[in-house]
Amino acid sequence: MTESSHTRLNDKIQQALSRKGIRDALYTAMKRGRDNRNQAVGLLPGGETFRKKVRETKLRCQSKQDELVDRFAEKARQRGASVFLAKDGAEAIAYVLKIAKERNAKIVAKSKSLTSEEIEINAPLEEAGMEVIETDLGELIIQQVHEKPFHLVFPAVHKTVADVAEIFRKATGEEIPNDADEVMKAVRRYVRPYFLNADIGMTGANVGIAELGVIVIETNEGNARLVSSIPDVHVCIMGREKIVETVEDALQMMLAHPISAVGQHLTTYETLMGGRSPLGQGEANSDRGSHLIILDNGRTKMREDPLMQDALNCIRCAACMNICPTYGVVGGHAFGYIYPGPIGIPWTASVHGLEKAGEFAHLCVSCGLCREICPAEIDIPMMISAVKDRYSAIEKHPLVNRALMAAETMAKVGSATAPLSNLFLKNKSFRSQMEKIVGIDQRRQLPPFRRRTLAKRFDTRGASKVSHPVHHVAFFADIYANYNAPELGMAAVELLETRGCKVLMPPQKGCGYPYIGYGDLTQARKVAEENVRSLAFYTQQGYDIVSIEPTAVYCLKISYPKLLDGRQDAIDVANRTYEYFEYLGLLEAEKPDDRRINLTGRRFGFHIPCHQRSLGAGAQAMTYLKRRGAQVEVIETGTCCGMAGTFGLKEGMLGYELSQAVGQPLFDLFKTASIEAIVTESSVCKIQLLEGTGLRVYHPLEIPV
Amino acid sequence: MNDGIVQRFKAKHESLAGIVHLVDGLDSAADRVFSILEEKKAAKVAITELPGEIGHSLEQRCAATGMNFLKPPFNGAELPAEFDSIQVGITWAAFAIAETGSLVEFATDDSFRLVSALPLVHIGVFQAADIIESLSEAAAPIRNFYNENPLNASVSFISGPSRTADIEMRLILGVHGPAETHAIVVN
Repeated sequence: MTESSHTRLNDKIQQALSRKGIRDALYTAMKRGRDNRNQAVGLLPGGETFRKKVRETKLRCQSKQDELVDRFAEKARQRGASVFLAKDGAEAIAYVLKIAKERNAKIVAKSKSLTSEEIEINAPLEEAGMEVIETDLGELIIQQVHEKPFHLVFPAVHKTVADVAEIFRKATGEEIPNDADEVMKAVRRYVRPYFLNADIGMTGANVGIAELGVIVIETNEGNARLVSSIPDVHVCIMGREKIVETVEDALQMMLAHPISAVGQHLTTYETLMGGRSPLGQGEANSDRGSHLIILDNGRTKMREDPLMQDALNCIRCAACMNICPTYGVVGGHAFGYIYPGPIGIPWTASVHGLEKAGEFAHLCVSCGLCREICPAEIDIPMMISAVKDRYSAIEKHPLVNRALMAAETMAKVGSATAPLSNLFLKNKSFRSQMEKIVGIDQRRQLPPFRRRTLAKRFDTRGASKVSHPVHHVAFFADIYANYNAPELGMAAVELLETRGCKVLMPPQKGCGYPYIGYGDLTQARKVAEENVRSLAFYTQQGYDIVSIEPTAVYCLKISYPKLLDGRQDAIDVANRTYEYFEYLGLLEAEKPDDRRINLTGRRFGFHIPCHQRSLGAGAQAMTYLKRRGAQVEVIETGTCCGMAGTFGLKEGMLGYELSQAVGQPLFDLFKTASIEAIVTESSVCKIQLLEGTGLRVYHPLEIPV
Repeated sequence: MNDGIVQRFKAKHESLAGIVHLVDGLDSAADRVFSILEEKKAAKVAITELPGEIGHSLEQRCAATGMNFLKPPFNGAELPAEFDSIQVGITWAAFAIAETGSLVEFATDDSFRLVSALPLVHIGVFQAADIIESLSEAAAPIRNFYNENPLNASVSFISGPSRTADIEMRLILGVHGPAETHAIVVN
């Protein structure tokens, strides 16, 4: 293979995996971030519903963005600020250079601004002879060593206190011990003169309030208060998407941002600024000015791109980074360009180009967790799929991804040639060839294929013989239950039948999620189209759709309507689709089970597959087990088990190795729990957990009684 | 006065490493502020526009003990160097928020912001009656303030000391702003 983005990624992952200390620090940071976030969100009245409200606000404001930008600019000018609408980074930079020249500026003190990093303004300012200093501690640390942020909220999380002390010993020439408090004091002494003497103070804005022409700047350190007040000139560079309509909208963002980032209700300091205030009294004030630069830089184009416009709802909280399984291992240097992490993929594609985004897009394993934590409920995974899809025009999908996208064809062949195919799958030299040629890791224990698929069994068995059915169910099997575990599929069907359901299995394809995950949206749409057309025929006749595979339910309920542009039949199918135990729970609520199996005294650890977190998060399956006497507890790290569909089957760094690194903390939790087995509904998580923990792993219907 | 709301503010603000003092009346507030100044052995302090009972009283007491005392109007030509050596800044907050443990200050002069931003110790004073329950209730007073001030104006939310966790995720206070903050709630 020629040097491809995948090869380069492999190298970066290998490097990241070898740095154990940094990985541990990153893991702790991410875990603490999401734990604190969950705790704080739990305390909010309404809990997670704040996300829905934030989304509504962002969508409303995006829908009239041009009008809001105009209103903001007008109001801000009335307050005495200068407002410049910059088409791109070059225009914004030229504007700042012009001001700097007029003012004969020597020192620019900045508070953290991702938008200023987006346009890479520091270098041209320095080339023009200015000293530019980042005053946020994390940003300052990485500025000193000329690195990029490792994490959006904690840019220097990869540096130890000893590293940082050394950095500031060099910068200050002082003797600074390797002690965080002492380092902080030295930093305070070092940065203070810059605050006092800066000619230009540069900030971003977390929010712009159109109603008032006022910006909002959030910090915990208080550095933005200083750079926005002391220097004569204040320059604020803000993305146009940050402008909201009202004060109420702004307060909502001020809460949503830190609570999602680190679980704080507000950052320590929230500064609202309108116009340019004097600094004390007297003539010294005559020169003070505030320049608000509203940056487009591709944003208007993003809004017109149906697959990218959702990214404009981002409030830059970094929660998607804190929950992303692969980001949590490799960090922002590998997983990012300037904008890191999951949301960094569509942003990079939109403002820095598809080529740049293609360099790290494939680190996304499409687990969908970012969508579940995003305060604006942005469908980040779907946007990333679109980026991967578009990037495939520049660089073809690698063979292994193409093979896994065609998993159903392989399963068909495997099943048709079983049991011979299974002998091959167990054969070492075959698996070694398969690894070399296709790229499936030979260490993976692949589930054997069954010649008599669930569909065939259904055909020979005939329709269900339920007289006076109370419900009609169209069963959606997906690949595993059809080709690998038809007994499980049939057990699920028969249980529904004992509950008075008439069950049939409509013509269907596997859900096709791998097409979404690896980024072939044309094929994904084809599968969606075919399945929706087939299933809609049954929903119109009053059938409910039930599936035992969480990812299949996720596809039917969430992905298909989106892939099919919100078409009515796709929405109808989505609305009639149920997770298996959700449906069984409804049936049991109607009429309790009198022939229930007994699991009293049994202890299980429950694993929630990522896609199930957008659905019922396994609650109904756990209820099913508890009703039968079992003790069940969710065991989780809060992120993925590492398998991520078929990602963990792939050989190499961008596959098996990364998948193991992601899964290890979860394996450890399971191994130390006092449980007899793991229960999960996902067929692929099962492979990962089985290999990773050595424990038995069951689907709830497979637990031996 | 609603005791519950004060207690909710206190609990939240303390969870953010701020120190809360509940006092009865403006005179007691002045006493409490002054005792903090003495405890800190402050040589130089600054205040923003405080109610007369506090401002005058503090000025007299500081003068009596030889403390350098700065009060508005501040001379722009000497700023910000003059402020850099302040040890304690004392400000008046327009209101506070129980839900978030925040003090909210209004200003049309940036030197007022510096009084709470530059020194290592900040004391914020406000009336118990001015505590609102939730962040969303802050919209009305903010809107009114900006409507009354159609030109330059700033609003500062302050929720405890300046903090960072940028070194090994350890919480460190006072990296750029105050390391110690006092909220004086006047009944």
